[in-house]
Amino acid sequence: MTGVAERSASILDQPEYRVEGRDKVTGAARYAADVVMPGMLQAAYVTSPYAHARIVSIDVSAARALPGVRAVITGADTKPGRLGRRLQDWPILCWDRVLFIGDRVAAIAADTAAIADEAARLVEVEYEELPAVLDADAALAAGAPVLHPDAANYAFLGGTRAQRSHPNVQGQALHEHGDVEAGFRTSHKVYEHTFTLPRTHQAYIEPRATLVWLDGETVRVVTTNKAPFALRQHMSVALGVPEPRIVVDAGHIGGDFGGKGLSIDEFVLYHLARATGRPVRALTRYADDLQATNTRHAATITLRTGVDAEGRILAHTSRVLFDGGAYAAGKPVITLMPGDAMLTLAGYRVPAARVEATTVYTNQVPAGHARAPGQPQNAFAAESHIDLIARDLAIDPLEFRERNIVRHGDVDVTGKPWHGTDGPALLARLRTASRYGPSLARPNQVNWWGWGVALGVRHVGRGRASMVLRTLAGGRVELRTGVSDQGGGAHTLFQRIVAAELSIPLDRVAVSRGTTDAVLSDPGVGGSRVTPVQGSAALDAARKLNAKLAELGRSIDDASEIEVTGEAAQETHEASTYAYALRVTIDRETGSLKIDDATLVADVGKVINPVALRGQLEGGFIFGLGQAVMEELRVEDGRVVTANLGDYKLPTIADAPPLRIELITDHPGPGPFGAKSVGELANPAVGAAVANAVQDACGARVMSLPVTAEKIWAELPK
Amino acid sequence: MSTHRLSFTLNGTKHELEVAADRLLIEVIRDDCGATGTKLGCAVGVCGACSVLVDGELLSACLLPAVFADGRRITTVEGLAKNDLTPLQDAFIREGGFQCGICTPGQLIAATALLSEQPRPDHEAIRTWMMGNLCRCTGYYGIERAIQKASGVGGQSPPNRL
Repeated sequence: MTGVAERSASILDQPEYRVEGRDKVTGAARYAADVVMPGMLQAAYVTSPYAHARIVSIDVSAARALPGVRAVITGADTKPGRLGRRLQDWPILCWDRVLFIGDRVAAIAADTAAIADEAARLVEVEYEELPAVLDADAALAAGAPVLHPDAANYAFLGGTRAQRSHPNVQGQALHEHGDVEAGFRTSHKVYEHTFTLPRTHQAYIEPRATLVWLDGETVRVVTTNKAPFALRQHMSVALGVPEPRIVVDAGHIGGDFGGKGLSIDEFVLYHLARATGRPVRALTRYADDLQATNTRHAATITLRTGVDAEGRILAHTSRVLFDGGAYAAGKPVITLMPGDAMLTLAGYRVPAARVEATTVYTNQVPAGHARAPGQPQNAFAAESHIDLIARDLAIDPLEFRERNIVRHGDVDVTGKPWHGTDGPALLARLRTASRYGPSLARPNQVNWWGWGVALGVRHVGRGRASMVLRTLAGGRVELRTGVSDQGGGAHTLFQRIVAAELSIPLDRVAVSRGTTDAVLSDPGVGGSRVTPVQGSAALDAARKLNAKLAELGRSIDDASEIEVTGEAAQETHEASTYAYALRVTIDRETGSLKIDDATLVADVGKVINPVALRGQLEGGFIFGLGQAVMEELRVEDGRVVTANLGDYKLPTIADAPPLRIELITDHPGPGPFGAKSVGELANPAVGAAVANAVQDACGARVMSLPVTAEKIWAELPK
Repeated sequence: MSTHRLSFTLNGTKHELEVAADRLLIEVIRDDCGATGTKLGCAVGVCGACSVLVDGELLSACLLPAVFADGRRITTVEGLAKNDLTPLQDAFIREGGFQCGICTPGQLIAATALLSEQPRPDHEAIRTWMMGNLCRCTGYYGIERAIQKASGVGGQSPPNRL
């Protein structure tokens, strides 16, 4: 067997070359907005200008009379249809009340987009404005308007919705372990800090695009959604169409970052396609994508932590309040909160904790999942909090983390024993690789440059997946998968895994993606799942093929028409840790900051796709940096005011500072050959690393993201 | 609205068509000519996904009236490779110059224009020139490595080394 292992290893040492690379660099790669159908119509929507209002009347007669208009539908036509990933609370079109600026009240299908837009302007809607709930605290006030009085009638997919303490709660949870009160009682000092986080947008460069048509009894969907089987289920429940009659085609997706798990167009396009008998397409304008879909949750986070005289954490409580916006439809998890809502002091030994998180309804843009949901908020709060405690105790912030980082078997904030990354080894690597300078060696001295450290934790993805592997002539094989390509390199990963396991050259493994009627069910791209779960299904398929060949006494070169099904059910609870050390310089006149140098140490397990892995970590850093220093989906009176990429700032190439990446690969994960996940590993902790470096440099402590020059300047010690 | 007769070459192929005065070059390239390699992103000239070369000049097709193209020569991502990929295209694959690929047509067009003006751009020249092309996936490091590799400047790591 040594020979096989060696051959496998040498295949994984070969340069990585994206299987879809040629298509992507020649313009041949087909994205949803590139697909056209004969007779295709274009959709436009009539949307609410009010954050909260009752629809008194809708007059569509002028719109219907416009030449080129093929259908105008309203909530009366789609009632009581609602959409959503777990809780279906978002009306396909509103019929009685609108709950945010941008909520849809009518839809048009017309020969051209210009005619559809003109028709939308001709729809007359009379509203009666209602009191709006514009922040999360107001939502929980006694006597607050109840935004979803009919919640008991909403479909809840897979399970039962938990009881709620207030009708405006979307979801809530409480976790407690250890003796929290005793921990605080015996603490040397107890610290409490409150942090605020803004809404941000995933800001994929490809706005949503959707095309729906009826093919006899079959509903055909071309979409930017990254979880086609889940979308099929959501549509089936919301539209009353059996799943086998819905076929979803999700090919290349132009960036996701969590946002494209929620679809909002497919449902109304189905109604328009039925009304017209023709294919109908919706190409979302970027401005509408920024204003109307699935942002990262704004949050207010209060952390309270007690430590002993040596700075060891004894007890921790937290209260996290997320603004979920008008609908909970974007959240797939059963608690209806961002996935990691409860991870408020991740990565540390926490003997006793009480963690309380709540997501509420407001009359704001609905919030949903965004790269490492809940973590950028909680990591910013926790890692700022840790730094503030360390500085108050006059302990170097990196040393404080070394004293508290979770070790094997320690209980962390979840109350479970830790079996993930070797924390001390990670921080030792960070100290060496970054050439970290002990900042407290220069007390009471403002140097205008300084160091910031922050760490983060992300679970290795879990779930089930399956795919089919079959032999072709000439010793070739084909893997058939339902995994769409959102840029992570999944198909190349599968190719390398299968080739390595079968000990055949990479170019003898073809990976093809199929629509939902043509491949086995797949959970979609997300949740740090592709490498550990779908990758394990690819590995299982290759192993089964090897076993089948052995059983038949055949070699792959003379095998034909052998087909096996690879399956994975990955339930291991494991997490990876990563840490940053940043060095920044602050301009003393303006407060603007420059990152001179960044070091990222990440526990990644076995590397299968070296180029893609590096790209995910580099891209995750810059994604996190954008949210750390510039990104904010600003909302005024319920209206998004950063509604284009000129106002919603994203990092450019000129914003990318020198970045050094060090990998920890000797702690195998549950994925293929010991791989872990990296897609959501690097972005959450950047905000706190920046804020901590800023304080180290100039004494200014910024308690909210983004850390802008204005905020730094305002906080400079006078 | 007035309509206008246009004649232009797109990646070496001559096109003659009649367009309304308010139509944008990106619409004509994608919808009328069927060349969907060029992407529409922000639609306000910020993200660079719609970058094209018009008589060799780097421009945003989402901002240009289609009539502007009359008598001109337009190059999009489909026009870069002849039979083989260009060194820049190959370097984008090998150095991680893309992930999802939606900004890649624009990045390649912008970088092609850069290399035709400055065959050996340094770090600062790449950052200055490529600032108008947003990428949400790569963090730009792979794009810079790819441009450096294609220009023969700078020590590139083998693609499988970290």
